[in-house]
Amino acid sequence: MTTAALDTNTSQIAAVAGVGHTDWVEDYRRVRNGEKPYDSYGYAALAFKRALEDAGITRDDVDGLIVGPTTAYERMGEILNIDPRWGGQADAVQAVFQAVMAIKSGMAEVVALVYGNDQRSAAVQYGGPQAMGGGSFLSYVYHSPWGLTSQGALYALMFQRYKELRGVTDRDLGQVAVGQRQWANLNPNAIMRGKPLSLDDYLAVKYIAEPLRMNDYCLINDGGVALIVMEASRARRVSSKAVAIHGLGRSDLNHHATSLGPRLMDFYLPAQQQAAEQVYAQAGIGPKDMDALLVYDSFSPHIFFALEGFGYCRPGEAAKFIRDNGIGVGGKLPVNTHGGHLSESYMQGWSHQVEAVRQVRGNLGDRQVQDCRFVQYVSDVAGKAMSIIYGR
Amino acid sequence: MSKAPRLYSPYDAPMWESIAQGQMKLQRCPDSGVFRYPPGPMCPVSLSMDYEWTPISGKARIISWTVFHRQYLPAYPAPHLVVAVQLEEGPIMVSYMDYSERESIALDAPVRMVYADHPDGYRVPKFTLDR
Repeated sequence: MTTAALDTNTSQIAAVAGVGHTDWVEDYRRVRNGEKPYDSYGYAALAFKRALEDAGITRDDVDGLIVGPTTAYERMGEILNIDPRWGGQADAVQAVFQAVMAIKSGMAEVVALVYGNDQRSAAVQYGGPQAMGGGSFLSYVYHSPWGLTSQGALYALMFQRYKELRGVTDRDLGQVAVGQRQWANLNPNAIMRGKPLSLDDYLAVKYIAEPLRMNDYCLINDGGVALIVMEASRARRVSSKAVAIHGLGRSDLNHHATSLGPRLMDFYLPAQQQAAEQVYAQAGIGPKDMDALLVYDSFSPHIFFALEGFGYCRPGEAAKFIRDNGIGVGGKLPVNTHGGHLSESYMQGWSHQVEAVRQVRGNLGDRQVQDCRFVQYVSDVAGKAMSIIYGR
Repeated sequence: MSKAPRLYSPYDAPMWESIAQGQMKLQRCPDSGVFRYPPGPMCPVSLSMDYEWTPISGKARIISWTVFHRQYLPAYPAPHLVVAVQLEEGPIMVSYMDYSERESIALDAPVRMVYADHPDGYRVPKFTLDR
């Protein structure tokens, strides 16, 4: 139940005026070579400088600060030398939500969203005896006495049941990794550029947590991303490249989350559908109006659940949708046109915001979606379904 | 040297003790009759903070599985068959089965709980097909 008098509009309150990120390809090479170009703060700081430059503003214009979950708020603010009148800490999608809310309420007008992660050089463990994440999601660690560890294995469990119920094959799932690799091959910032992946290549690689193979898993690399989110009219004044946020939608499933009920029994569908209803109502458009879809893809099954939950096809029909329409280069629905976490860079949702902004701006070269007006971002991390629509 | 499983709340300890005794118990809410898993302070249905540690039947059905083809944990060399089962009492529980049963499992297949020794020195409930 909601109160009718509340102004719930989130459309065109704010716009992204600037984006910046680090040199993922070069830093991946250097880190694999044993070097450590920066720590998380350094990556974030470099991305921040580039985002400021992209927006055409100075640091002193910033009056709000959100830092990602991998760095401390105060230390990041100290390094960037920002004493804001509003601030917080959030993951990528929640950072955008919070920036819009802060701007809407007048708490801030120019919010810097800053993320850095040295997960590869720091050898962050996503599975095994030292698995991270238990402080936020008990399901990530609770089942390890029985041998279930790693977030990939949680998606393996989820997709195995989906496969059994829906009659989906390994070839169907492989379309995601193959399609995203096609996009990555058009993206100079993609770590997997220059490494084409055919469906046969995909199938020839052994399972890790069955039914997921190596190419169903995100990369692990160092890097940083920053966004400058501004009050919409001010953003348009300072930059001709500003990209508006046309709507937000969110719905969470926490009941039985640790025992995996929403994941295994519902595939997060009810949350996705509710978030979809909200974000489409805000933006006044629907899935048929989207020129591209960007999905948080720590693992390839995310794409199936996003397509179904956000109304691109009916529940259970994602494999058919992908076969019939195509999601890679030349497909009718371009999905993760940067290559995503699987093939561009694992920036935990942050790089997807950059790609959405760039696709709407245009002039992205070979991977530019023609006449791109609206791009939808979807994430369903641990049953928190959220979506943002970016547009002209 | 034996190590206990990690406890994530004070409510985990009695559950692991019941497992050690070979009769797994879960908290049952006297108001709603709902079983809690993982153990916790309050019934999510009735909001009652009361509970009774109640033996479970060990009967369950398979709702999904994954095979680890790579070893992540010292206790479980690959291939390792992890299963998610729905207990007769309601909760979903993650556990494992012997890999030799891999070809015989299916959605909704009935399974029963048996007890195994974890290399760290404590008992864990695992499952086997209930033929």
